Amino acid sequence: MGEGFTPRIVGFLCNWCSYAGADLAGAAKLEIPASLSVIRVMCSGRVDPVLVATALLRGADGVLIAGCHPGDCHYREGNYYARRRFALLKKTLETLGLDTKRVMLAWVSASEGQRFGEVANQFAKQITELGPNPMKTKISL
Amino acid sequence: MTDKKESAPVLVIGAGVAGIEASLLLANSGRKVYLIEKTSYIGGNVIKFEEVFPNMDCATCMIAPKQQELLANENIELLTLSQVEAVSGAAGDFSVKIKQKARYIDLVNCIGCNACFDPCPVEVDNEFEEGLNKRKAVYIPCAGALPNVPAIDTENCVRFKGQECQACQEACAFEAIDFNQQDKELELKVGAIVVATGFNMFDIGKTSQYGYKKLGGVYSAMEIERICASNGPTQGEITLRSGEAPKSVAIINCVGREEKGYCSAVCCMAALKLCHFLKNKLPDLKITQFYSDLCIPGKAYQHFYQEVKDSGVDFIRAEVTGVSESGKELAVKYKTDQGKGNTLTADMVILNPALEPGADSAKLAGMLNIPQSREGFFSEKEPDLTPVATAQDGIFIAGCAQGPKDIAETIAEAEATAGRILSRSG
Amino acid sequence: MAKRLGVYVCECGTNIADKVDVDKVLAVVKTLKDVVVADRYKLLCSGDGQEYLKQSIIENGLTHVVVAACSPKQHETTFMNVCERAGLNPYLFQLVNIREQCAWVTPDGEAATDKAIRQIRAAISRVQYHTALEKKGMECNTDVLVIGGGIAGIKASQVLAAPDRKVYLVEKTASLGGKTRRFSKLFINMESGPALIAGEIERLQQNKNIEVLTESEAEQILGFLGNFEAKVVSKTEDKEAKEQNLNVGAVVLATGFDLFDAKGLPQYGYGTLDNVFTSLDFEEMNLADGPTQGKILLKNGQPPKSAAIIHCVGRAEKGYCSKVCCLYSFKFDRMLQSQLPGAKIAHFYSDLCIPGKANQKFYEDSRESGVEFVRSTVTEIAGGDKGLTVKYETESGDKGDLAVDMVILLPAMEPSSDARKFAQMLNIPQDDKGFLAEEHQLLSPVASAVEGVFVIGCARGPQSIAESIVQAEAAAGKILSALVPGRELELEVKTSQILESFCTGCKTCIEVCPYGAITFDEDRQISVVNEVLCHGCGNCAAACPSGAARLKHFTFPQIYQELEEVLR
Repeated sequence: MGEGFTPRIVGFLCNWCSYAGADLAGAAKLEIPASLSVIRVMCSGRVDPVLVATALLRGADGVLIAGCHPGDCHYREGNYYARRRFALLKKTLETLGLDTKRVMLAWVSASEGQRFGEVANQFAKQITELGPNPMKTKISL
Repeated sequence: MTDKKESAPVLVIGAGVAGIEASLLLANSGRKVYLIEKTSYIGGNVIKFEEVFPNMDCATCMIAPKQQELLANENIELLTLSQVEAVSGAAGDFSVKIKQKARYIDLVNCIGCNACFDPCPVEVDNEFEEGLNKRKAVYIPCAGALPNVPAIDTENCVRFKGQECQACQEACAFEAIDFNQQDKELELKVGAIVVATGFNMFDIGKTSQYGYKKLGGVYSAMEIERICASNGPTQGEITLRSGEAPKSVAIINCVGREEKGYCSAVCCMAALKLCHFLKNKLPDLKITQFYSDLCIPGKAYQHFYQEVKDSGVDFIRAEVTGVSESGKELAVKYKTDQGKGNTLTADMVILNPALEPGADSAKLAGMLNIPQSREGFFSEKEPDLTPVATAQDGIFIAGCAQGPKDIAETIAEAEATAGRILSRSG
Repeated sequence: MAKRLGVYVCECGTNIADKVDVDKVLAVVKTLKDVVVADRYKLLCSGDGQEYLKQSIIENGLTHVVVAACSPKQHETTFMNVCERAGLNPYLFQLVNIREQCAWVTPDGEAATDKAIRQIRAAISRVQYHTALEKKGMECNTDVLVIGGGIAGIKASQVLAAPDRKVYLVEKTASLGGKTRRFSKLFINMESGPALIAGEIERLQQNKNIEVLTESEAEQILGFLGNFEAKVVSKTEDKEAKEQNLNVGAVVLATGFDLFDAKGLPQYGYGTLDNVFTSLDFEEMNLADGPTQGKILLKNGQPPKSAAIIHCVGRAEKGYCSKVCCLYSFKFDRMLQSQLPGAKIAHFYSDLCIPGKANQKFYEDSRESGVEFVRSTVTEIAGGDKGLTVKYETESGDKGDLAVDMVILLPAMEPSSDARKFAQMLNIPQDDKGFLAEEHQLLSPVASAVEGVFVIGCARGPQSIAESIVQAEAAAGKILSALVPGRELELEVKTSQILESFCTGCKTCIEVCPYGAITFDEDRQISVVNEVLCHGCGNCAAACPSGAARLKHFTFPQIYQELEEVLR
């Protein structure tokens, strides 16, 4: 399962920390999977669970949300709300029969280029192993 | 009537967090600011820390928005590689001569791709990384340093020793390297001056009992800070020089306190921060702290100390008399208040030194005609009552240039200088 | 109006062009609907590049622009400014990162090109959902209300006041000066507290731009940065209550401290034994207008021959070090020695807190003058016929006792009782110790979480007079920088807004807003965003169950378009 399959992964990165961390990974010329498409948001707290669900229903094999470390949020508490929403989202995905390993919430700071590389690559590997999102064939919108 | 004082530009000396904060407040009120910085980068000492106490904020993330704001602010003219040469005049009308060293890289053309580093034939110790790794003669001190434009170190670049070399220039696709750049002399007319030149660490080399630079397992606190840094020489991997992770650490506080004659205010907290950070990375690490008096003032610090203590860090109130080799480990000899002598073995010893005024303080004090304290810091006009004003009207001091203190107090002082400069209360 | 999109791919020299097949990208882009220009440029951020872009926008009458280049964190503002110079609203622009997050991190050229195409298509889809946003300004009041007439409040008022900026200094009691006025000497240079305050009061009286309101209290403060309305009630001479409404742009809280009540720790004998004093009692004793006309005397009218100073009273209970007690205890040594040469003084302390360049010397001078320092915990102050006995235990477990005439307790510093009142009135968080919380402990030490409200002095934590003065001047600096007479407040452009027709009045957005920027309109039963306070984080938009709360930029449709395209 998962052989010869290039996943499509969507990453919501917060402008102040994780997006900057991803830029730093770029400056360091680390290898980041081409399967990751980045959507910039101002804060991880902006990520509406509906967006994540939409992504999965539209065929994303994995969704990554990255924000500032707890306590470091540029908007003070946005990432705490992201964390709570994510916990609820995971529960909802369970009831939909979706593998919750397909979504991930990670904290990446602006100076953690290396860490962003690790997170992105590890998540891509995880999604590749999980195989294509079953929703792609089961549900059409 | 526009008082010259009210609209004249302001000179801020030092682009660490104090200088950045003062510059932003002044610029946002509409004043023009010249921010001069001796090195090629902004952020001073704070950007060297991975995390800062007491909330373990990521230091670089924390000040990144301020740095970006500073670089984009149209009222602030940043002059890196610049130092004050002479000052004359009085409040409202100072005349300051600045010498700006050439960077040899064009700030507009350079896109920060770093392609010029590889071909450079010169490799030297990277002072930003406390000598823990090397850099080239054309360099940026660390990943993420701003402005994201390298500088050429004329002390080590072979061109400045008479040799022919165009390696960096040939590698640049943007024609950003310009060997024809010259050192510049500028004359700035300003109405007020803020001195925010920060601190240096006490030179541990002046001590002999700790085995610093002799024993491989002995590190300075700043070296450990860079080892902890995710953009540092080990990308945040905590290892001894052998490459192995340490199993036990002894932190020795108050290094240089006796020589300097004062308590540096932040070291106890910095040591606690290191404990917290190291314990997080290496949960089985055994840490012992040697200290004289625990300095954890204020509403937020004691809680942090308690947390660290509860995580299993040992605190021994004692004077460390010597550090020596003991097989593969280090032996830390100490004496408690009651005179009891003992020894502790550890893989790694971290020396926590005093904070000193910056190296050029005396020269700058002379040029500005402001007194220095016995310890070499810039003196306040009335120590208890005018903490950021100096004997010279129109010249203010903020941050560690005035005395050792933490980031919060530094920022408050920087904001206070802006308050005094912008004040029109007559 | 028909859409005319322009898409520009920057080669970034070789940085992008080396990896990404720009020809292939342009070939795809040119086929997309409404794209009228698709071009490449070697270095778009250069002077020439920007000029080229500007001309191209004008010549092609573009309605939307997409640039594929480096990170928006590098050049988004640069290209937005180009759009503006070309007469196009800068928000009808999107910058795609195909350098740091594509060319530089994807070794395989084909994969990099595919990724670039994906991200550029996403931007092209998205940008069509951008709306033209305009910069907004708002008139603001630049006067300031300072609450608390201690040294911090006084200093803040002095730095702030100006002919075009009035300051109202409101003080609860009949006199200005707070605690400082009752310290006969200040550390470390032993200045006179009363003299200092007298001088400050004179300066205040001469300052026509400061209105001092003693025996006055602020009862209600409504509004926000630039626009506060405060109701201040003053006691007139006939004990009547006079009310006035003050319009100000900023509020500074300087409500000071109280001492921890040592009576709560019976082992120290405060209030039960004679000659056990707190530091404030001792300060009063040394004042010429104090209970003993400035003489240090025991209850029996005799001067003490010995004194014990007990540090950290209440420290364990409060859970923090009050920072200044060690320092003022050395001040007490000098005060005792000056009036009573030969008096024996002993300190009982746990850790000496003497940070800073000058303070160690202050301590050493005390020690060298013969003052004894005993590192220990005091277990009991016992009374008796012959005076007091300090019973103590050292760190090594040795027990001892010392007979003394007088005991001076150094209790912890607490926020004054008014802190809670104003915290609630202004919605400022208090920490678990009761002190008013700063906006950011390190980066914003004098601002509070409520924009326009500042907290200085001991209201925010135990500290020295010098530090309180720094904070007073710092708060002034922030206010002077942000509220300039005659200048409008510049508001964040990418704020949130709540559509009345969709809002169900559930108030979820109000709960999640970190800035308190959303209020509830009782008449219309909907939530309303205050654009002065909104920072555009989008938390409300993510939380809103009905889709009423929407950002003006980074909207749901915009993000949805990006999603659609990258998952195609």
